Amino acid sequence: MSSRSDRRRLTTLEEQAYAEAKEHFVEHLKQFPASRLIVERLEQGVAKIALAANMAASQTSQESPIPTDDGTQWHRSVDLTDNICLCHRPISGGVEYAVLEYFPDRGRHEIWHRGPNVVEVLRLFVQEQRQALQVWTEDLASQVREFLEEKYPRQNVSRAASSFMQLLRA
Amino acid sequence: MEPAPKTEAKPAATPAERLAYSIQEAADLLGVNYFSVYRLVQRGKLKVCRALRGKLLVPRAELLKLLQTQ
Repeated sequence: MSSRSDRRRLTTLEEQAYAEAKEHFVEHLKQFPASRLIVERLEQGVAKIALAANMAASQTSQESPIPTDDGTQWHRSVDLTDNICLCHRPISGGVEYAVLEYFPDRGRHEIWHRGPNVVEVLRLFVQEQRQALQVWTEDLASQVREFLEEKYPRQNVSRAASSFMQLLRA
Repeated sequence: MEPAPKTEAKPAATPAERLAYSIQEAADLLGVNYFSVYRLVQRGKLKVCRALRGKLLVPRAELLKLLQTQ
């Protein structure tokens, strides 16, 4: 892979800086790929999830409805992540769908997106997840630059920072 | 009960008294994973500012506000 060959060309100092960044930001390196995988699975599964939600909406739910702050009540259709689910509720002339997030400390659900078109609701949600990953990437790049500039003042270790950021794309 | 003796020097600021936190510190304080905080930022539920090099900082006041609205 090109990232691997680029890394081979790092100088000893850059290699050291790269290793230090990896050690310092190890938790990001653990959490980012897992979060990205969740988003990718959601992106690839929109049609399937929408179908499952349609089927759930056509059946009578045995679970207790989920109340939200606006006074509406929802039935769980599909779990999207540990604390986020796609829900539905009957409305006059059809079904409304919503992505709800559960906040354990509040003990209640909050609506992310809602609407009669389940695919549209899902797409908006997935799009926001992708944008959140982008915010993460940009912030981490800034943090890595800051970390290395402080550790290696007056030395150019930008290639070490770039190599580190390539780990996120691996 | 005797009153606590007056101390001359102020105690050093604890991490909880800081004005702002990095995203990972905010995640640790809130007890959630990093992605949850970035999602809150992306949705505008948690206001952040940027340090000189672009690093995101979560003001302590915003964390408290988030917890109060919770």
